[in-house]
Amino acid sequence: MDLLGIILWPLKWAVELLLVAFHWLFSNMGLGYDDGITWVLSIVGLVLVVRAALIPIFVRQIKSQRKMLEVAPQLKKIQDKYKGKKDQFSREAMSRETMELYKRTGTNPLSSCLPLLLQMPIFFALFSVLNDAQHGKAGVGPLDAARAESFGQASLFGVAPLHDSFATQWTHMVAGEPYILAVMIIAATMVVLMTASQFITQLQIVSKNMSPETKASPMFKQQRIMLYLLPLVFAFSGVAFPLGVMFYWLTSNIWTMVQQFIVIRNMPTPGSEAAKAREERLARKGKLVANDGDIIVVEEPKKPAQRQQPVGKNRSKKQTGPKK
Amino acid sequence: MNRVVATVLLFPRNVGVLLLRVYRAVISPLYGDVCRYYPSCSAYALTAVQEHGLVIGSGLAARRLARCHPWAAGGVDDVPLKRTRRYRVTSFGFVVAPSHGKG
Repeated sequence: MDLLGIILWPLKWAVELLLVAFHWLFSNMGLGYDDGITWVLSIVGLVLVVRAALIPIFVRQIKSQRKMLEVAPQLKKIQDKYKGKKDQFSREAMSRETMELYKRTGTNPLSSCLPLLLQMPIFFALFSVLNDAQHGKAGVGPLDAARAESFGQASLFGVAPLHDSFATQWTHMVAGEPYILAVMIIAATMVVLMTASQFITQLQIVSKNMSPETKASPMFKQQRIMLYLLPLVFAFSGVAFPLGVMFYWLTSNIWTMVQQFIVIRNMPTPGSEAAKAREERLARKGKLVANDGDIIVVEEPKKPAQRQQPVGKNRSKKQTGPKK
Repeated sequence: MNRVVATVLLFPRNVGVLLLRVYRAVISPLYGDVCRYYPSCSAYALTAVQEHGLVIGSGLAARRLARCHPWAAGGVDDVPLKRTRRYRVTSFGFVVAPSHGKG
């Protein structure tokens, strides 16, 4: 066993356990044992477990972002100090001071790369589990030979094998051998869906959940680059990765999108567009509590009691048309 | 003669520098600013490899990565520097023997 294999071994074991457990659950619920859908749902189940396990990290991050509000004046002081200084040394000094402030006040809003790094081996583990299953090879743990065979042979809608990728089918097509068009279509569709969910997630953040200060920062520019770079990554991996792995990624992306939506709605960044929207919403319901504990109520404009008669286009022009 | 020896000796760490530069140019922007420390882990790794060579530098970088998790306090955390510095770092980040020629 090589080094990578040793590192991945426990993760592969866990991935297999989750897959087999979900597969057991779904096939006992009446789905076909060898059906593609059963295995796809097992992959979706795997994603749900992994992402749910990462929620505490996410919540912690949100909480320290909330706490940032308290140190905002100090942060502003640092930013003012280096205002207009664009050279490398000033930027570096500013980063240093900001980081020290975060540490002093325990408000570090960044989550480190661990949540990302953690997902990568899971991804690779799933990749190699699928890869082995393709050759009907038993996994390292709970995925025995029979199940591996079933997983490897499972095909979505009865036509697109989960272990297949766009690239393998493309090679077949170019070589003039028989190929499965459905695999290519599904892979392409998933790339489009992933790109769409990524865009929506980013747009939600950028358009609603950013304070004006963040929008002016260099970090924001970096995020914009990411917005246009990721579709390329998706397209590239959509070609190379097996459908099963792509399903993991797609589901994970959709989870991120929904999570972001919920967070933006219920815990928006102070000062952002979404925060204003939330305050208005709460005020309408009489639930907004001001800093001094008072409840702020906003009177809603009264709705007309009587229904307005629908009026034809011509008549409405006659009634309220502009007088020239 | 000395320069040849230095180039050979510095080769491994310059390979490391090249890899890290590529990583920082291509992969880092993908997930933006996430590091809880300053300098970020990859910047730390780059300096560590430049300063201490590929083996010790990688070790330092690995230790840093282990320190960097969502429960860490974060803050400023620099690479321990050597007392005497024998080499020069180019603007790209390669480590070279101090020269009189091109600078």
